[in-house]
Amino acid sequence: MKKEYEFLKTIPDDPGNLIKGLQLLQATEGYISEDGIRAAAEYFHRPEADVEGVVSFYAQFKRVKPGRFQISVCDGTACHLKGAPLIHEWLNQELGLKPGETSADGTFSLETVACLGCCSLAPVISVNGKVHGKLDRKTMMKILKEYAAK
Amino acid sequence: MSIEFFLDGKLVTAQAGQTIMQVAKANGIEIPGLCGEKRISKTTSCFVCVVKDKKTGKFLPSCSAMPANGQEIEVTTEEVLEMRRTALNLLLSEHNGDCEAPCTIACPAHAAVEEYVRAAGNGNFAEALKIIKERIPMPITVGRVCPRFCEKQCRRNIDGEPVAINEFKRVAADKCFDSYMEELPELTGKKVAIVGGGPAGLSAAYYLRLSGISSVIFEQMPFAGGMTRYGIPEYRLPKALLNKEIEHFVKMGIEFSYGKTLGKNLSLTELQSNFDAVIIAIGCWQASGMRCEGEELAISGIDFLRNVVENNCVAPNPGKVLVVGGGNTAMDCLRTSVRLGSPDVTCIYRRSEAEMPAEKIEIHEAKEEGIHFQFLTAPVKLEKRNGKLILTCQKMVLGEPDASGRRKPVPEIGSDFEIEADTVIAAIGQKTAAPEGLPVDRYGSLATADDGVTVAERLYAAGDCVSGAATVVEALAGGRQAALVAASDLLGIPMEKENPINVSRGKWQDLSKDELVVLRDNLSSASREKLTFIPTQERKTTFNEVTCSMTPEQLSSESKRCIECSCSDKAECKLRKFAGEAGCKTDAYSGVRLTASYDVRHPAIIQDRGKCIKCGICVKICKEVVNKSLLSLQKRGFASCIGTAFDQGFPADCKECGECINACPTGALDWRKKR
Amino acid sequence: MSNAQIIGFKIGLASCGIAAGGEAVLSALKNATSLPITEVGCIGHCYAEPLVEACLADGSSVMYCNVKPDEKSIQNILALGENSRFIIPEVRKKKELLKVLALAGHIIPTDIDDYIANGGYEGLKKALSLSPEEVINEIKLSGLRGRGGGGFPTGTKWSFLAAKPGFDKTVICNADEGDPGAFMDRSLMESVPHQVLEGMLIAAYATGASRLVIYCRAEYPLAIKHLKIAIEQIYAAKLNIFDNRSVEISIKEGAGAFVCGEETALIASLEGQRGMPRFRPPFPTDRGYQGKPTMINNVETFGNVPVILREGGNVFAQTGSEGSKGTKLFALAGDLKYPGLVEVPMGTTLNEIVFEIGGADREQVKAVQTGGPSGGCIPVELFDTPVDYDSLRSLGAIMGSGGLIVIGRDRCMVETARYFLDFTHRESCGKCTFCRVGTTRMYEILERIVAGKGCEADLDTLEDLGKKIKAGSLCGLGQTAPNPVLATLRFYRNEYLEHVNEHKCDAMQCNAMVDVALDQSKCVKCKLCLKSCPVNAISDDFVIDPALCTRCNSCLDSCPKHAISRVAKGDK
Repeated sequence: MKKEYEFLKTIPDDPGNLIKGLQLLQATEGYISEDGIRAAAEYFHRPEADVEGVVSFYAQFKRVKPGRFQISVCDGTACHLKGAPLIHEWLNQELGLKPGETSADGTFSLETVACLGCCSLAPVISVNGKVHGKLDRKTMMKILKEYAAK
Repeated sequence: MSIEFFLDGKLVTAQAGQTIMQVAKANGIEIPGLCGEKRISKTTSCFVCVVKDKKTGKFLPSCSAMPANGQEIEVTTEEVLEMRRTALNLLLSEHNGDCEAPCTIACPAHAAVEEYVRAAGNGNFAEALKIIKERIPMPITVGRVCPRFCEKQCRRNIDGEPVAINEFKRVAADKCFDSYMEELPELTGKKVAIVGGGPAGLSAAYYLRLSGISSVIFEQMPFAGGMTRYGIPEYRLPKALLNKEIEHFVKMGIEFSYGKTLGKNLSLTELQSNFDAVIIAIGCWQASGMRCEGEELAISGIDFLRNVVENNCVAPNPGKVLVVGGGNTAMDCLRTSVRLGSPDVTCIYRRSEAEMPAEKIEIHEAKEEGIHFQFLTAPVKLEKRNGKLILTCQKMVLGEPDASGRRKPVPEIGSDFEIEADTVIAAIGQKTAAPEGLPVDRYGSLATADDGVTVAERLYAAGDCVSGAATVVEALAGGRQAALVAASDLLGIPMEKENPINVSRGKWQDLSKDELVVLRDNLSSASREKLTFIPTQERKTTFNEVTCSMTPEQLSSESKRCIECSCSDKAECKLRKFAGEAGCKTDAYSGVRLTASYDVRHPAIIQDRGKCIKCGICVKICKEVVNKSLLSLQKRGFASCIGTAFDQGFPADCKECGECINACPTGALDWRKKR
Repeated sequence: MSNAQIIGFKIGLASCGIAAGGEAVLSALKNATSLPITEVGCIGHCYAEPLVEACLADGSSVMYCNVKPDEKSIQNILALGENSRFIIPEVRKKKELLKVLALAGHIIPTDIDDYIANGGYEGLKKALSLSPEEVINEIKLSGLRGRGGGGFPTGTKWSFLAAKPGFDKTVICNADEGDPGAFMDRSLMESVPHQVLEGMLIAAYATGASRLVIYCRAEYPLAIKHLKIAIEQIYAAKLNIFDNRSVEISIKEGAGAFVCGEETALIASLEGQRGMPRFRPPFPTDRGYQGKPTMINNVETFGNVPVILREGGNVFAQTGSEGSKGTKLFALAGDLKYPGLVEVPMGTTLNEIVFEIGGADREQVKAVQTGGPSGGCIPVELFDTPVDYDSLRSLGAIMGSGGLIVIGRDRCMVETARYFLDFTHRESCGKCTFCRVGTTRMYEILERIVAGKGCEADLDTLEDLGKKIKAGSLCGLGQTAPNPVLATLRFYRNEYLEHVNEHKCDAMQCNAMVDVALDQSKCVKCKLCLKSCPVNAISDDFVIDPALCTRCNSCLDSCPKHAISRVAKGDK
């Protein structure tokens, strides 16, 4: 196993711990790289094809490096009713991004998530885990500007 | 410990651990299923094998569900069959492949194009001829005169010209016709009368003989061949070759009785009492007129052509010729007129060139021979003045599309003009002269049952007299169908049906070059081989055959251009088999399918994800039986697919054991080399 | 009151409080006072967050809602001012029955002593004084049914596992709350993690399990954090040791797959596999996690268990309706005034929940969606339906885990159905033909209809296919995925017909059938719309070009005179 993946050893190498290992990989690297898959396969005694099958099954795992700021647009029912599609439209106009894409300068990446559980504040997005609620176009743009300036 | 339960109302016994499917099988009921394999754990994914638990109303996958005491399981009720059909229809809707190649589907006779092209390309012309004759018993003729339905659907059209498919028939026949003789089964004693010795009648006789049934062909003319003899000119199909082709039917023991016309010196009732069955294949021999004043002054196209044939291509110079009509018969009349020495030959057609029904190649060759075309012109009146014919015409403009989809010509008021000619030929169309007492449809053709051939008990019809004037290959297909139905009726054996399921990736017109799926490994990028023509001057002055056969080298090159679109698993594919049996339709549901998702990087194995049903048998076989785990299910939902690590294809440690291929219910995994 | 002395503060810092800006309020409050400030969970009134409670010396308290982190607001609280005071509406007090949520928002979630001081672990203590069989009997007496949606009797489920010999068994808490629009479980785990764990420990004792596993969505970081702290505290207090054995408790994070709410898929996921369901039998109680006998209950079910043990199964069963006992948590969201978490006795009507508790405007409500994407809609005309497992099922909806989305009159039901199918067809694991291909085909048809390209025959196909998908799928996802479509077709077929026959969306929601128009008579030519339009679709003389307009609503929001509106395509 490559040296940079030795952090996996904090988890027991039981094959059943693969998902935990992948979560640690993603938390460390920001995404799951091919080398990461190789390392996880070796460490958790799983075939590489099998690991890829697991990685590609779960929405949490990303195979491409995300931007500095990961925008997650909640498309839970309440948010959808309250305008999640419009948020996508605005983000697309402002950043030229569609879900799953990262801006060319690596600042923002965009994804849709099922529900952030903040339905009473709909519509909401989260940026790097921080939730912003009750959005309209103006507050949305303000939030984007603030992050872009960081 | 055994379990007793009911299968379709019948009490059956199961051993502990047996699935409903296994018990059903032991009791003579085969439940179809795609996703099971004896050696691996259950996948329970296809849901084709559903049965219904009558008490709970629940549908169960019988491959996995075990029976419980007293359970009432429904296996063959319409409701269960409908569920099964829907599962298969859904699988078909995401299936992106070609069962049969588009050329074969386009061919009215469904000839196995890919197979004979490959055989001939490998130099095995005898094998090619055998495959061709399974569907096309007149390869000499069809190899010369066919309008090539197959080539029009050939996917090579996307990036150039189609494979020269029809040339394979011509050359295979050129090389092997004389030495080839079918294996003839013993005669059963049944005997059929066939009225008409054209391609439909000949084809019917041929396939009847292959079913062990003898026949007598009753022909009104002094020679057999029908329109292939009397309608198709010598320069396209030399009579010497046609005679050779017909001689083969005689060799097979088929009897011919000439000069017999139904309703004149031949009675249907007598035929019916003297034979076990009668097949009517009398063609379309009644010409349509120009439907204008003086039309009787024109000669009909088929009469004109027949006259030339009957006089062995020796006929007086027709002088200045006008041919009215735009079909293949019109082209034949025009080009025959040139060969008879006419100095000025013109085609009069009421629509524009784009709407002409004649083959493009025929129009092209006619132009090469100096023939004039006057489009958007319709005859109004034909009269005789001072020994000359005067055809009054009017100009037309194209209006809205009509029922045939072609734009309807509308006369331009006051545009009348006159053309002088020595001969006016009306090549408008032909109809069937239906014998009295037989049912006809609204076009005047013989009316048949849904099978396309049955007229009454033990009375069948085929060819132009059913379809209206059509092509030789269509007549051959009709004749074959009549023979198969008749043989089935006479011998009391069920007809072997072709699988009606033909999934298609789409017509080439709807595909882009990137969407072409090429599973063979040595596809040639060469352009289509060119045909050799005799010199134009020779064409204009003699009736010698215009084109020459391609060389075997040319065919070998053409064969390498064939994409080999058909599925390598078409004969064994369980999805196709069960879907066919269940009465599925490939278009029951429509929607997205995986495209361009095939992998041909491995030298021996192809993976075509478009054909995958995501059962995961291959994954489990590789893991549980082969102990390798080179494959995995990846992604999820509709996008889920079978993949290798990092999409690198089968890795070096794949031993090509073939377990995954053998277990794959479809052609999603297969050997690269078609066998 | 002004004489009352403040002795400390409580601030709601569950996810909803944090999202509403609670952390900024906390630091502002910290700067302004040296009095103790306690971080608590959620009391359910999410619409009022951030909520600050000033605790008084006499034991009473004053609550402030929608607190801003500015000087003025903080001073108002410190002075026990009259502004922004929060009083729970009387009707809600009357209708709600806080049993499971009794401590939520009132205790410190990560303080075991606070929990114990408020009656925590009494249930466990009571259980340990009984035999395992007696504990299961109490659960059976209570009539508790699984709160995850299925409604299977919990006591019976426990007895199946208890019947397996030995202690090599696992009890799993399904905390993979995947229904978009549901957040009961998140709130419970964040606010009263010990209560959930207490329920699990009782289950471990009653069923003889020696492993407890919580399978929690990774999207709930705060819940996971609180649970982890609580588990450490349990270990420290040796509460996991009883019956001469020690019970191991662990948390595993899900990785984002709705289908993992299904038992066999959840187990596959726990084992590090793709979360794909398998055929049952064998049931998890025979062969579950790591091949050992296993039982799965959801968060809210476990949250009920300590209550049952404390008050006794018979008392518990006095609340609720005929076949559905106890209370139920609902996550109220959508088009209503007071979104948040409520707990009401089973059998409370939708009228009471939506209008009286939720404060929705009777004139503005069209329907509610229960059970998330697996459920169905119930039209406002049927709001006198008591909410329990059986009544909802009879309407083609399901209880589900408790998401309750109020759908307003200005929402398009076809688009709503399309939204749910979009979710489920993407969440299908891809195993069963009916679910994988069938839901995709249904989704495609709905896409066609909202794009104005549907035909009436499509509706029959949707209905036919929907029924077959329900019948021909292995797990709950496929068996319920068509519900939103079938229910809307049943109650709102007229909307579908309008879409397919007249290409009209009455709710003006389906962009393909909508234009954005500007009423010149109301326009004051302020040009705010021009500035707001991201695609320059508005001309200098205030005409909107429908070919350029993306129907993003920016101009509608910008117009101070409400001169711009969505209209049927072609209308001016």
